[in-house]
Amino acid sequence: MNPLVELNNITYKAQNKTILDIPEFQICAGEFLGIMGPNGAGKSTLLKVLAFLENQSSGAILYRGEVIPKGNVPLELRRKFSIALQQSLLLDGTVFHNIAIGLTLRKMPKTVIKEKVAHWLELFGISHLAKKNALYLSGGEAQRVNLARAMIIEPEILFLDEPFSALDFPTKIKLMEDFKGIIETARTTAVFVSHDLMEINYLTNRLAIIVNGEVKQSGPTPRVLEHPNSSTASFLNEWKKFYPLAR
Amino acid sequence: MLRKRYFAVLFALMLLVLSACGNTDTKDTAAAKEKKTAPKPAPTEMILATTTSTQDSGLLDVLVPMFEKENNVKVKTIAVGTGQALEMGTKGEADVLLVHAPAAEKEVVDAGNAINYKRVMYNDFILVGPKENPAGVSGDDIKAAFKKLADSKATFVSRGDDSGTHKKELGIWTAENIKPTGDWYVSTGQGMGQTLQVAAEKKGYVLTDRATWLAQEKNLDTLQIVVEGGKDLMNIYHVMQVNPEKHDKVNSKDAEKFVNFMIDSKTQDVIEEFGKKEYGQSLFFKYTE
Amino acid sequence: MELLIDGIKKAFDMILSGDREVFAITWLTLKVCLISILISTLIGLPLGILLGLTRFKGRRILLLFINIGMGLPPVVAGLWITMLLWRSGPLGDLTLLYSPTAIVMAQILVSLPIVTSLTCTAFQQISEKMLLQIKALGATRMQTLIILIKQLKIAILAAIMAGFGRVIAEVGAAMMVGGNILGDTRILTTTIVMEVSKGNFDIALALSFILLSVALLITAALTFLQQRKRIS
Ligand SMILES: Nc1ncnc2c1ncn2[C@@H]1O[C@H](COP(=O)(O)OP(=O)(O)OP(=O)(O)O)[C@@H](O)[C@H]1O
Ligand SMILES: [Mg+2]
Repeated sequence: MNPLVELNNITYKAQNKTILDIPEFQICAGEFLGIMGPNGAGKSTLLKVLAFLENQSSGAILYRGEVIPKGNVPLELRRKFSIALQQSLLLDGTVFHNIAIGLTLRKMPKTVIKEKVAHWLELFGISHLAKKNALYLSGGEAQRVNLARAMIIEPEILFLDEPFSALDFPTKIKLMEDFKGIIETARTTAVFVSHDLMEINYLTNRLAIIVNGEVKQSGPTPRVLEHPNSSTASFLNEWKKFYPLAR
Repeated sequence: MLRKRYFAVLFALMLLVLSACGNTDTKDTAAAKEKKTAPKPAPTEMILATTTSTQDSGLLDVLVPMFEKENNVKVKTIAVGTGQALEMGTKGEADVLLVHAPAAEKEVVDAGNAINYKRVMYNDFILVGPKENPAGVSGDDIKAAFKKLADSKATFVSRGDDSGTHKKELGIWTAENIKPTGDWYVSTGQGMGQTLQVAAEKKGYVLTDRATWLAQEKNLDTLQIVVEGGKDLMNIYHVMQVNPEKHDKVNSKDAEKFVNFMIDSKTQDVIEEFGKKEYGQSLFFKYTE
Repeated sequence: MELLIDGIKKAFDMILSGDREVFAITWLTLKVCLISILISTLIGLPLGILLGLTRFKGRRILLLFINIGMGLPPVVAGLWITMLLWRSGPLGDLTLLYSPTAIVMAQILVSLPIVTSLTCTAFQQISEKMLLQIKALGATRMQTLIILIKQLKIAILAAIMAGFGRVIAEVGAAMMVGGNILGDTRILTTTIVMEVSKGNFDIALALSFILLSVALLITAALTFLQQRKRIS
């Protein structure tokens, strides 16, 4: 498989501290990649670098084999990627407006926007909130809006940073199922950060474990979960106490 | 796209307010335009520097429009303190001056900064004081009255703003060899109107021009005239042109016309008539050379 | 108390009788103030945004001067403009002194720092994360700016209102650079000063009510715009 995005000797430094150090990393077209790791490991940072929101300190990012100039990412390329950040920072405006914004910025016709927003509102079960101010939503409602506004763009790669963390259990299950369906039919490539082994196990087909800014292990999800290596075992085995894997 | 809408609303609102007010104005300008349609060259501009008290008397509101109409000039009347008015002349920031501080004027004329120096009119100063008149001053001898005030240390309110009136007051103190200092001597640093207000509040004596007194008497019921009529109390007005040879931007043509206008007998009649209707007496008197 | 009632009565008289002079003065006041605040906004808004969102060398010094400028006494502004516009001054050839343009210049000088500084403060409070989020949605720089302006509408309008308040209340500079010339540069505040010095407290009071009404009208319009359609 041809890699869609490649990282070459990427480092990311902030305040003289190396937060990411990744000699080699790839995202392949059509895969659903999970990323796990302890708090502060650098998962969110990696996602932001991949989505061209933050510039790497050194190293190169390649898209379909071509080096993308650092700090000068073509708008069209940036718009092919979509990310739902860890914190759902919504704008002061209606839920409708918040979900529509990605399309508005891409100058889609109004009628199309209306249709699509209605569709995604429906899908995420928040149609009744359309006219509500997004700043007054509950945490779970806000997360759904955050997810919807990232997905409505129908990106080539979708980056998700703990998108289901604030959902109640039945909603989470329902949303995960719907989500999986959507991703699979659209053949969207997705990168998914989560702390929840159940989510990872259900959704992803490849898993990367990040500890201290380094990718310590990556491979097909079941294999990584079943055979942690020496540097990921301590992290993954804690999980296994609560989730004896049934696969 | 949305932003455009916000700003459109903002601009629309501003325009609405502007035009709403504009409507009431259009009648005025329409009337004005009708007059203007007569093929008349654009009026030239002339800056007249004068004192606040002259402007406050309202005399210029009568004279200036007369002059403007006769000569197709737009007069910009700037009312400031005497010192500033004379300085504007010296610097060439004005074209013609109408002031009333002969001693200070003389310096400006002698230095060659003003020419065509003409006496125009006078009004008089008066001493007003509290109705109880604690210092017991009266009559027409202002010097004697000032001496009595200093001796009795009755409250005296001075403008202290270097105006013509202030200079007049200082001249009288100097003539009597008195240095007015102490609690009884209050200096406001303000215009005549405010100074009279202060005097009324503090029940003090104050030297004022008659025009301002007449205009404000209604607000000053604790005060009355105590000394008036003496020759020393004359407040003489002169008009003069700023010397065009010293400053090239001075409009000397209209300034000369204004000087001549002020001493014209027709204008002089208007001056003496001014105030009779409202106060039953003249505020200014003919006094050409 | 009597004076107050007299003043209110007189204000109504003046407005109802359509006193031309009062209308002309009020109209000029509005025109001058609105033009001033419009120009201040057109300059101050972008400048404030620049100062609030970007970091460059000399930014802090510039900000310091702008913040000092917020407290610039109008008479000082007036003095500077006067000296600039004097016949013997650098811009003397334009013969702008004692014209409404001169008043507008002075009013811009006193209101621009307010609009700029308050806009800057608002934009400085935008978090790094918010900027990232907007970028993540696929916004260009221009689109980001538009979104931010919309998000900060309330603060921006507050900045404009504060500037307008300064402009309409200002008298020292208008007196100095305008000269309070009837039918030319006489605005409400300078008229009030003049009428007070003439001892016509009733007229001054009446004019003050008219001034307040004008200020109220504009501020109400801006407030309405500011508080409009806040969805819950
Ligand atoms: N701009 C920055 N300046 C300084 N430190 C930073 C910066 N951004 C991230 N960090 C640090 O880098 C580390 C990684 O942060 P990151 O948000 O990527 O962690 P994470 O793996 O997403 O953690 P979590 O599971 O808690 O979300 C943290 O220690 C964080 O404090
Ligand atoms: Mg994170």
